[in-house]
Amino acid sequence: MTRRTETLFLSAALAATVSGCLGGDAASRTAANLPPFCQEVLPRVEAFLAGFAHPEEPRFGGTAIVGTIGEMPSGMNALVSTDYTASQHQTFVHLMTLVRLDENFEPAPYLAESWEFDEAAETLTFRLRDDVYWHDGTPTTADDVAFTFARATHPETGFPNAAFWAHYAGGEAGVRVIDARTVEFSVAPHAEYLDSWRSTAIMPAHLLGEVPPAELRQHPFGSRCPVGNGPFVFESHQADASWSFRRNPAFPEGLGGPPYLERYVYRIIPEQTTLLTELLTESIDFYLSPGPDQVPQIEDAPHLGLRVFPFRGYDIVAWNSRRPQLADARVRRAITLGIDRGEILQAIRRGHGTVANAGVPPFHWGYLAETADSLSHDPERAAALLEQAGWSDRDGDGVREGPAGERLELTVKYNLGNQQREDIAQILQAQLDPLGVSVTPQVVEWGTLLNQINTPELRDFDGVVIGWVPEFRVDDRDLFHSEEVDQPYGWAGTADPEIDRLVDTLRVVMTREEAVPLWHELQYRILEVQPYTYLYHVERLAGLNRRLEGVRLDARGEWVGIREWWIPADLR
Amino acid sequence: MTVFLLRRLVQAVPIVLGIATLVFFLLALAPGDAVSFLVSPNITPEALEQIRRNMGLDQPVHIRYLRWMGSMLTGDFGISLTRNEPVRDIILAILPNTLTLSLSAILLAFAGGILIGVFQAVRHNRLADSALSVIGLFFYSMPSFWLALMLILVFSLGARNLWEWPIWFPASGMTSVDYPFMSPGEQIRDRLAHLVLPSLSLALVLAAGIARYMRASMLEVIRQDYVRTARSKGLSEFRVIARHALPNGLIPIVTLLGLYLPTFFSGAVLIETVFAWPGMGRLVVDAIFQRDYPVVMAGTFIFAVLVVIGNLVADALYAIVDPRIRYE
Repeated sequence: MTRRTETLFLSAALAATVSGCLGGDAASRTAANLPPFCQEVLPRVEAFLAGFAHPEEPRFGGTAIVGTIGEMPSGMNALVSTDYTASQHQTFVHLMTLVRLDENFEPAPYLAESWEFDEAAETLTFRLRDDVYWHDGTPTTADDVAFTFARATHPETGFPNAAFWAHYAGGEAGVRVIDARTVEFSVAPHAEYLDSWRSTAIMPAHLLGEVPPAELRQHPFGSRCPVGNGPFVFESHQADASWSFRRNPAFPEGLGGPPYLERYVYRIIPEQTTLLTELLTESIDFYLSPGPDQVPQIEDAPHLGLRVFPFRGYDIVAWNSRRPQLADARVRRAITLGIDRGEILQAIRRGHGTVANAGVPPFHWGYLAETADSLSHDPERAAALLEQAGWSDRDGDGVREGPAGERLELTVKYNLGNQQREDIAQILQAQLDPLGVSVTPQVVEWGTLLNQINTPELRDFDGVVIGWVPEFRVDDRDLFHSEEVDQPYGWAGTADPEIDRLVDTLRVVMTREEAVPLWHELQYRILEVQPYTYLYHVERLAGLNRRLEGVRLDARGEWVGIREWWIPADLR
Repeated sequence: MTVFLLRRLVQAVPIVLGIATLVFFLLALAPGDAVSFLVSPNITPEALEQIRRNMGLDQPVHIRYLRWMGSMLTGDFGISLTRNEPVRDIILAILPNTLTLSLSAILLAFAGGILIGVFQAVRHNRLADSALSVIGLFFYSMPSFWLALMLILVFSLGARNLWEWPIWFPASGMTSVDYPFMSPGEQIRDRLAHLVLPSLSLALVLAAGIARYMRASMLEVIRQDYVRTARSKGLSEFRVIARHALPNGLIPIVTLLGLYLPTFFSGAVLIETVFAWPGMGRLVVDAIFQRDYPVVMAGTFIFAVLVVIGNLVADALYAIVDPRIRYE
């Protein structure tokens, strides 16, 4: 090659790469890469949808864009799904569940029109709607429900929420298809028996029936070409960038009919400053969830509104009672008394939340309001409790010593990159210091931290700042039952016969009337035992462009009312 | 030269495999695995074990290594543990995004840096030279992610909301959400508009450095006898600089290209995060935190290959800009 031709060759190669990347049509490029399953399924969806006319009403139309920091890695496959946002999209956006919760958190019909128990409460029968179609035009029937249940209870699937089915006879034997619209399950009587059917979306048997259970996890259905039956049809997914959906024109009138929005786009923007900019410049309509420090800017912008709504999650400091300093419940209570949780809530979340005393959230029917002020900041009571438990500062160095001379020194861990938890750990250090409790905050990478606290043989922590997001069916058995001490989530090492009795009973009591007093008892007992210092129940924040109307946000989730979101015609 | 390049390619094979092996065992040392992130009381230990089996994580590390190496050599990178998709598909979707960003930033940086450097050398010690030096130092000492945020504040938020400029640039993503419905012309415009701020944030910092090297190198060359000869022949100043001085002044800059190419493919993770650019840096960093071994391994492998290619390109360019260099 001569010098000139070499130069030409190199610059041509460079130019080709750049233009190839710039000019290539993303849609056609991904279409070529689609797995055979998708190439077969997507045209069928296209053909089915082509048969519907655009709705006439003025509210119909427009694209709403939600921006948030995280990808939905487990996609739309409800059988392997593990993350909150994906689960929200499965239950409210793309797929359907048998039942949903109404505004009062009571189970309401959705894919199932009705349900009933036999007299012994051992057979649960669901009657399905007959007007729900998969997005490729196939009707949704009892076979799909039976298939979903059989796969979710099949050991090889690795269904992550196996605890949902603890009271069901698993596998093919536990479910019977009576006819296309009727399906029944064998169950043992238990509390909140519908909750599993609120959170597990039904999956299409005609598309996934032949897939071996162990291969469901990696099936292209999840992230490449899901075919649901919910209000929105899958349009495209670009890894780490966006998910796009469009209106399902066949969504049943009996459930309110097709959604108003023409399209709905979920965008992944990992940097909060960028998210705020995109909200301010109207490039996204809905910013979930802004940092508390970004609230003033959202409130000041005339075209934006801040929304605050309750959430199931709560933040805690879990105490390892296996440690000699923390073995005595009086010490743990004293520590909680020494912490000004109201101040933490104000500092960390600008007050958006409720100080917590147990895992039962304020919107839950079992919540005990009377305990709200128990264990609120009281350094004198805290000091007295510590003295009573034998911890006093004998050598005058500012740190208390125990009966055997050991110092009241605690290392409180939190995960790398979580600013709120880091701040909490440091506030704890400052607040507990005057009490003679020495706290050392320690940052640990998330994977390493989980390993240190979840491994029963390790439990390498005194305290850890962490959070839980429970189901609506609150169940603290895995956290506090004495049989769970050596299971992954027995962080606190709690062994209390009273708690054991309550969590066991609560699992099988079927009516709320019977359960409420037990819930109250449990919350009193947890105050007493204090396995965790409960910090606060989280309230979620959202920044919304005012053009997006009809957005209802509550503890059920951000997407619960997406079918009713709409954009006035002149603002589309 | 072809023989030389081929030999270099063959030499690169053990290096790339060695890097991949090292990374594999380092990752295996990190505590926890992809399954240990599924924190929920709803997950029974049996389900966790089953998921581990489905992912092949129940095997001892040497078996996993041999399996991985075996399938990788046949072009199969396995299945992502967190995204549940074949790693090959993920990389095929994401690698072009990284190449687009890094190549456009490199083009911008070198074109801009070289032009400014030459200009400064020609205006040596005059006001323009000093002013550009100060501005260059300003950008050179700036962390690129901070510069990125400032660019967003000015050219996206400020331009649109505060000053209502006629032109403003999108702050994130590669395309607008209505991209699929645009005409081909609009699509190219949309892509270029999204490319401006991220590639500028990468390029400005780099261009400032390149300009300093270029200025120094040109000052050296301009003092040479043959340049004086060219001037005394009565050639125009432009011709003297462009035809006689510049080719020699470029030689050190080619070394820089070889150095910078690799960092661009792997080192743009902060820029990718700030601009929500779905690139390799973010993919691999997320995968490391989630212990998604197949993705990390594939990413490392591809970075290693790109580094080798980058160095080869630099070597080839040496021969082109400097005829005295001959590879045997």
